[in-house]
Amino acid sequence: MDERYWIDRFVENAARQLAQRTSRRSFLTRLGSALVGSTLPLLPVARAADDARLPPPDDAALKGEVGDPKSCSYWRHCAIDGFLCACCGGSQSACPPGTEMSPVTWIGTCRHPGDGKDYIISYNDCCGQSLCLRCRCTRTEGEKPIYFTSKNNDLLWCFGTKSRAVNCSVAVVLGVATRT
Amino acid sequence: MLAPGVAAAQGTSGPALDYAVTCQGCHRADGAGTPGTVPALAGSVGKFLRVPGGREFLVRVPGVAQAPLDDTALAAVLNWMLDRFGRDDVPKGVVPYTAEEVNQLRRRPLTDVAGARRQLVEALERTK
Repeated sequence: MDERYWIDRFVENAARQLAQRTSRRSFLTRLGSALVGSTLPLLPVARAADDARLPPPDDAALKGEVGDPKSCSYWRHCAIDGFLCACCGGSQSACPPGTEMSPVTWIGTCRHPGDGKDYIISYNDCCGQSLCLRCRCTRTEGEKPIYFTSKNNDLLWCFGTKSRAVNCSVAVVLGVATRT
Repeated sequence: MLAPGVAAAQGTSGPALDYAVTCQGCHRADGAGTPGTVPALAGSVGKFLRVPGGREFLVRVPGVAQAPLDDTALAAVLNWMLDRFGRDDVPKGVVPYTAEEVNQLRRRPLTDVAGARRQLVEALERTK
């Protein structure tokens, strides 16, 4: 009994001191900061891991639509077929919140008009929401007929994802292609 | 982090580029595949060379036989894949694929891919 009484008194004193030293508002501020700090990276925004491997070429130097990720004419979109994630709450390399990037994708190359190099581009579908219906693009550079399924972009590419519903497509730079 | 950066700066060419553009979309950069959807190459592809028919299987599967690569490039990609994803599994003394071998094998695509694979996997199990 004595021991329990001691614990009660200790907790009561600690609580009183805490209440005297701090305000509820400061507690909420700290709690809020902690929550925001910890959960932001956990938001369901899929980012292509490979994007960090290579600094993509400088698009700022590009003039007009060829440098605009929201345009079908954007240089990375030379073989894209679908709705641009940059118009749907994501970017040219990140899925919109609430969608999941398909690990299965189709890959091609596009030439950067600034440096003239060919870049390996991965067109990943973002899955889990209905069609975005903004910025619809159909470009077919390097595309092959449907019997080459791995080189056809008319297909939905939500494979290996929780949902098969496609929302939009990203165009992630994977590397530089050098033909030898 | 340094190694990929260096590789990226030098660019990707040859069989590594052919793998990236022709195979990686499904099998992924690290050969891990997607469980339940796309079979893994890493830790798996080299084991097929341990059983009769496995060497032929790797060329006759649709993704390889029908790849939009000529015989020379396809042989190079196969050898690159075995080195990259199967180095620890390939039996000693295996000779690399040649363009001629690939040319002959890809003319006979598999009609029952899943069945052929199952037989090879069962044969592999028996070797354990």
